[in-house]
Amino acid sequence: MTDRRILDHPILGEQKSQKEISFTFNQKEYKGLQGEPIAAALLANGVRTLRYHEESGTPRGIYCNIGHCFECRVIINGKQGQRACLTPLEEGMVIESPAPLPTPVRDWRYENA
Amino acid sequence: MQKNNMIICRCEEVTYADLKKTKEKYNCTARELKLRTRAGMGYCGGRTCRSAVDKIASSLEKQKEKDIIPLKYQPPVRPVSFADLGGEHK
Repeated sequence: MTDRRILDHPILGEQKSQKEISFTFNQKEYKGLQGEPIAAALLANGVRTLRYHEESGTPRGIYCNIGHCFECRVIINGKQGQRACLTPLEEGMVIESPAPLPTPVRDWRYENA
Repeated sequence: MQKNNMIICRCEEVTYADLKKTKEKYNCTARELKLRTRAGMGYCGGRTCRSAVDKIASSLEKQKEKDIIPLKYQPPVRPVSFADLGGEHK
């Protein structure tokens, strides 16, 4: 597991060792710590892009990291709109990032006519 | 970043230029600005950009004495899926 994590924080102190578990994100296998936020586990693995914007497809990732902006929403075990920054990681979680959706209404707008 | 293409509303990707153009073209209030550009109607419910759209609307306002009604706080406080509203029961 890459050593991107801060294991001995000056304020938070020594991080207690947690069980290392594996999970999949977009069909790729990753390792993470039991119970840590999914966004943190992915960040530790160097993955910053959690999803793509529904219309424009721009890559999106962590923004507020306290659970109210929903920029980090991912699909966990088939359930949509789950916040990666708040959901604790469990063994064998299957996580996918939402992909751009068709935009028929926008395409009908007069400026696109 | 050049001021104009700064993103104001992340969820709907509305830039400052869009808001300014719409504001000057229709001389509209914050609520109308929201209706025309969708800024503040995104997944987060306007939490990120509501005050910014308000401020932009009032700062670009020409008639100073106009009583400006701010954008409202849009329920629900967290997005609710149809499944939560009694969709398929797992």
